[in-house]
Amino acid sequence: MIIEVCGPGCPRCHQTKENVRKALKELGLKDGEDALVSEVKDPKMISARGVMFTPALIINGVKVCEGKIPEPKEITEWLRERK
Amino acid sequence: MSVVIEVLFGGLNALRDYIALHVLTCLIPAFLLAGGIVTFVRREVIIGYLGAAARKLSSFGIAAGGSFFVAACSCTVIPVSSGLYHGGAGVGAAFILLWVAPAANILALVYTGQILGTEMVIARLISALLMSFAVGFVMAYVFYREERNRASTIQMSGGPLMSRKSIVLLLLLVAWLLAPNYIVTHGPYWQKVVLWAIGLGIIAVYAWKVIDRDKIKAWLKETLWFMRIIFPLLLVGVFIVGIIGALLPQEWIETWLGGAGLRQSFLATMIGAVTYFATMTEAPFVDTLMNLGMGKGPALALLLTGPGISLPNWLAIARVFGVKKALVYIPTIIVLGTLVGWVAGYILQ
Repeated sequence: MIIEVCGPGCPRCHQTKENVRKALKELGLKDGEDALVSEVKDPKMISARGVMFTPALIINGVKVCEGKIPEPKEITEWLRERK
Repeated sequence: MSVVIEVLFGGLNALRDYIALHVLTCLIPAFLLAGGIVTFVRREVIIGYLGAAARKLSSFGIAAGGSFFVAACSCTVIPVSSGLYHGGAGVGAAFILLWVAPAANILALVYTGQILGTEMVIARLISALLMSFAVGFVMAYVFYREERNRASTIQMSGGPLMSRKSIVLLLLLVAWLLAPNYIVTHGPYWQKVVLWAIGLGIIAVYAWKVIDRDKIKAWLKETLWFMRIIFPLLLVGVFIVGIIGALLPQEWIETWLGGAGLRQSFLATMIGAVTYFATMTEAPFVDTLMNLGMGKGPALALLLTGPGISLPNWLAIARVFGVKKALVYIPTIIVLGTLVGWVAGYILQ
């Protein structure tokens, strides 16, 4: 599973990444093995993914959320659907 | 040694006055309003309209009007504006958004009004809009050829901009924010606090009765984020401003930034254009300089370009939109800012 956190590196983006970590832990998934979490910081690359409002979360190329910090609970839900 | 202590005291005094007078009646409502806008306004609707209007002239108006609600500072607006441009909206509209959102968003405007008074806030609003149309026109004109070959891929998203219930909530928040400072203009501070508390009560009851619990939770969470990000910056900013106020000799400010000359406006514009001001910090900074003798025109130029552009922001714009567009946009803003400050200096005198 490829998980991308889009954002210029602001505190809200860090929180989003943190929540992704929590969600992965909740599901017993390991970053680097079961899932690959990366940050997309370049505004050009963010636009290329169709994102306008940061932070945004993209799972396997599908934008699941943008413009807000998703709760770990929501992220777990999205991850489960795509597992 | 005593000079250092005096300067530090200047900073601490500024900080004390600021906390005493602004946090409760001014900042808390402002943050709640900002959080409310993020939570209740469907920004994708504004962007959808812009995509649909593509390169028509009407996109200028939508871009300028929508910018009040889209983002609060120059860092969050870059991805939005870039997304808009790369999604195919007109270059004029994208740069209008890039300019108006930080130069005249609702949070900064309300706050400017609290600190600097109604006259300055109206001047800020009008000149930000005038400048935005000029910028949009320049960008669209210079990059006319390029524009013809791009197509819009932005989807219209249906539905209203926000629900009727949340419009009422946002209007209540604006009224709450303005009332204590406009109704109690000369009375003691506690009268403001009483009015503030009544307003808070009304809003709490309205929200509790009408708005979804989940939405309220999201709203308060967003508000908390605004506080956590902007509040420390504001405190540091006010402290630094206090120090600057104690350090700079008054004659110096009067000579270089006083009155309404072209040179003074240019200098103020350049200070604003290079330095990074987090949203809202420009108001106390300009207030301090005005107390030391800065003219209204240069003050306006600094209010606009301070949060509007900065050196880090130049680089980001060059990377996202390309060096050529940055080289047109930034000098245009500097020229316009100088002119606006110059003209406004004579009108506001």
